[in-house]
Amino acid sequence: MSDLEFHVLLALADGPSHGYAIGKAIEDQSVGRLDPTTGALYQVLRRLSDDQLIGAVPTPKDTDPRRRYFALTPQGRRAAASEAARLDALVRMARKRRLFPQRA
Amino acid sequence: MTIYRWLLRLSAPSLARDYGAAMEDTLAAKLSRAPSRHARAVLIIREIAGLPALAWSDRQRQRLLIHGEAGRMDTLLQEIQQGTRRLWRSPAFTAATVLTLGLAIGANAAIFAIVERVVINPLPYPDSDQLITLDHASVVLKVANGMETSPGLYFIYKNRSRSLESAAIWGMGDRTLLGRGEPERLTTSHTTPSLAAVLRVRPAVGRWFTDEEGRPGGPKAVVLSHGLWTRRFSRNPSIVGESIVLDGQPYEVIGVMPAGFAFPFPRVEVWTTQQVDESMGFGLFGWNGVARLRDGVSLETARAELQGLIAGMADAYPDDPRAIGNVSTKLTFVGIPLKTRELGNISRALWILLVAVGVVLLVACANVANLFLVRTELRQREAAIRRALGASSAGLGRFFLTESVLLAIAGAALGTFIAWAALQVLVRAGPNLPRLHEIRLHPIAIAYIAVIALVMASVFGVMPLWRGASMAALHESGRGNTTTRQRHLARQVLLGAQVAMALMLLVGSGLMVRSFLNLRAIDPGFNPDSTLRFSVGLPAQKYETLDTAVATHHAIIERLATLPGVTAAAGTTCLPLSMGCNGNTLLVEGEDYPPGTLPPISLFRAISGGYFEAMGMRILRGRTLDRGDVDRREPVAVISQTLARTIFKGQDPIGKRVASNQPPPKMGAARSLVWLTIVGVVTDIPMRALNETPMPMLYMPFSQGAPRTGGILPGLSYLHFVVRTATRPEDHVAAARAAVQQVDPDLAIAQVGTLQELVDRASAQMTFTMVLLAIAAGISLFLGVIGIYGVTSYIVSQRTGEIGVRLALGAEPATITRQIVMQGGTVSLIGIAIGLTGALAGGQLIASVLYGVSPRDPMVLATVPAVLLFVALVACWLPARRAAALNPTVALRAD
Repeated sequence: MSDLEFHVLLALADGPSHGYAIGKAIEDQSVGRLDPTTGALYQVLRRLSDDQLIGAVPTPKDTDPRRRYFALTPQGRRAAASEAARLDALVRMARKRRLFPQRA
Repeated sequence: MTIYRWLLRLSAPSLARDYGAAMEDTLAAKLSRAPSRHARAVLIIREIAGLPALAWSDRQRQRLLIHGEAGRMDTLLQEIQQGTRRLWRSPAFTAATVLTLGLAIGANAAIFAIVERVVINPLPYPDSDQLITLDHASVVLKVANGMETSPGLYFIYKNRSRSLESAAIWGMGDRTLLGRGEPERLTTSHTTPSLAAVLRVRPAVGRWFTDEEGRPGGPKAVVLSHGLWTRRFSRNPSIVGESIVLDGQPYEVIGVMPAGFAFPFPRVEVWTTQQVDESMGFGLFGWNGVARLRDGVSLETARAELQGLIAGMADAYPDDPRAIGNVSTKLTFVGIPLKTRELGNISRALWILLVAVGVVLLVACANVANLFLVRTELRQREAAIRRALGASSAGLGRFFLTESVLLAIAGAALGTFIAWAALQVLVRAGPNLPRLHEIRLHPIAIAYIAVIALVMASVFGVMPLWRGASMAALHESGRGNTTTRQRHLARQVLLGAQVAMALMLLVGSGLMVRSFLNLRAIDPGFNPDSTLRFSVGLPAQKYETLDTAVATHHAIIERLATLPGVTAAAGTTCLPLSMGCNGNTLLVEGEDYPPGTLPPISLFRAISGGYFEAMGMRILRGRTLDRGDVDRREPVAVISQTLARTIFKGQDPIGKRVASNQPPPKMGAARSLVWLTIVGVVTDIPMRALNETPMPMLYMPFSQGAPRTGGILPGLSYLHFVVRTATRPEDHVAAARAAVQQVDPDLAIAQVGTLQELVDRASAQMTFTMVLLAIAAGISLFLGVIGIYGVTSYIVSQRTGEIGVRLALGAEPATITRQIVMQGGTVSLIGIAIGLTGALAGGQLIASVLYGVSPRDPMVLATVPAVLLFVALVACWLPARRAAALNPTVALRAD
């Protein structure tokens, strides 16, 4: 799973969201390190949809009908959790090898 | 957004289909939250630059969905990755190519954007090709154009013409806005209510003028510009219906024009009605007219019809001496398309610049072609091995095309940025260019960039295939230190072409520089150094009589003259190199003007005492006009040397009497003439352009003028002040404004500037053409030098082995240097010869924008080739010297 994909899943963990908000969330989560172009963002959204990790949900009333909302699928939630576990294991390994600061 | 949608569909069609609308929504949200224009521009560039990257994965996905295999696309993707990596590994080649392409594409896109917006793009009114000016000429008065029109003619055209759908007249002026903060002088345009119908425009807020408001004595109403509405009224729509005070009179605000509306000029902030009726007659010309042709009517048809209406005036108005005067002076309708008038002669200069940057593009192409030739040779082996291993021609084509496409994309991106930045700088610098406010990087210009880049990519991508992919290359490249004669020749031809094209551009810019110097060397007849200028308008109600106007102006001048750092101050009804001087025919006492002949024509100015001294004009004969002449109401005048020459032809004009011609109010009635005695002759000063034929001019004291402008005598309700200062004139603006407001706190100063600015503005178009042409020539010279240097360096490096052998066998290093320099020098000389021929042949193209220099100017045609040859020889000599300094043993080992 790519960095950007994981960030998208993280951005959707709190509930359904739309393209601009997801992009903004990614920028915030990564402290400005990731700032995907609209094209790159939707490419990832589509890939995640293809893999059924996220799904489209109906657009709420009173918003621009062009706006598309996405939400995590149960499968996506599991995938994000296992990715987090994988990263956690890696960080623990890095600590053990003294490549990463110990917990304060 | 449209461009984005279009590019998205092009690069990632399936993504566009699935998510196009949502993506536009997201991008719109991003753009609306960008903090500044700069941030928006960066965002747009980033988003668009990111699109090509989507292309491959989008297509790969499509193929996966259809065929379930990704083999072919994988190789293409690989090809791109490898291509990028290869380019990354040769940073010098990549940087040189991208920079060359970027400079050339950027220059082309910027000039193209200007030409497209200014010359090609129609004026911003519906069916604007139907709009024409109402201008007149007079055969007898020897005026070829620029008389404009009179209210009487306007009504004849408006009411009787069948070829005109509608017509309007307009004039320019200033009004002081009082109340609502500081008094401010606003540029106004007075127009008949028909203007909106002629231009087919309507206000963004409120309404336009009614016919009732256009009649003398009708209600006073104003329409605001979008800029003024924003600046002074915070875009408050409820201002419509309220009243504002202009020059002491209340006007009802009835509407606000849309943001882009800029007729007749962008600086207009308020439109009021020109209250005219038919009684105003045929005497006063100088009202600007604009009309719309009926559908399907040509300008020629309209011209013929309107000329017929002029000829019929003598019968239609047998009692009106002015109408008969119009016919007897052989008045001719010379209206032209409105766009032609607005552009003036700049379109010619812009086309020349477009040709010039086109040549820069060719020079850049030659440069890149040379770089590719060198690179192809280095890659012969790789290509030949691929072919030997069974790569198809298509596969090889892709191999070379990938690189050129990648380079072209990078070049186009850099070029777009350069063009965008150049246009920003240009619009900020604000040259005296018509339609400047309309210039921007339009989608058409971006499409133009894309086409240029595409053509370049395919040419350079295919070029190596043409020679490079044969099996022979495998053998050939094994031989190492020889190159084929053919490829060597190709390189020399490209070099020669570069030199030839650079020479043509350098000659062009050399001619422009000489024209510019000639223009600036003209003595304007006055001293523009260190002189502040500004204007003050007197509201009609407060200053009704000539005496009050003169007294006020004198009070202002007295205060100005006593300011610290001010050496002289004076006033005039019109300044040099700006419009707005009255003109009339001039009667000389004792001369007879039989029917059919006309008295000489002259421009008139009313001036304060000490005007010539403040302007730095020289009195050639007689005396100056002083304050005493004004106070004593002396009937005296000073005339310009051209007027002295035209009417007195060698006689001494001092003591002669002249009068502004006044036709009798009715046929046969006596006319009242004011005779002025000539007391002096002064230098000519230009009215419109530095290089014009001087216009005859008569200067009279203030007290001989009229209280209001708009009549035949120069009016004192609007005055220009000149203040000569000992220090920087800009530092005295605040003091000058305070001096004016001490006299009357309701007066505002306008058109603040220096005399030098007027002179600079008069040569601004020449400066603009010269600077841009010099930049084009500079880029082509730079590219040419880089090309010569690069190719010579390459040849030297290829011949390292041979040179080493020769040095080892005892050849003199100087001989080797000379040989290499000679080789490059010969190519340069041939290129210079071809370029000179081209410059001589193309001279007529540029002749119309030159001043005081022939397109075959020997000085330019001798200096430029000499300089170019010298630079070329230096560019050859640098690598040649390196070759001669080789240590033979090292050189031989290098092979």
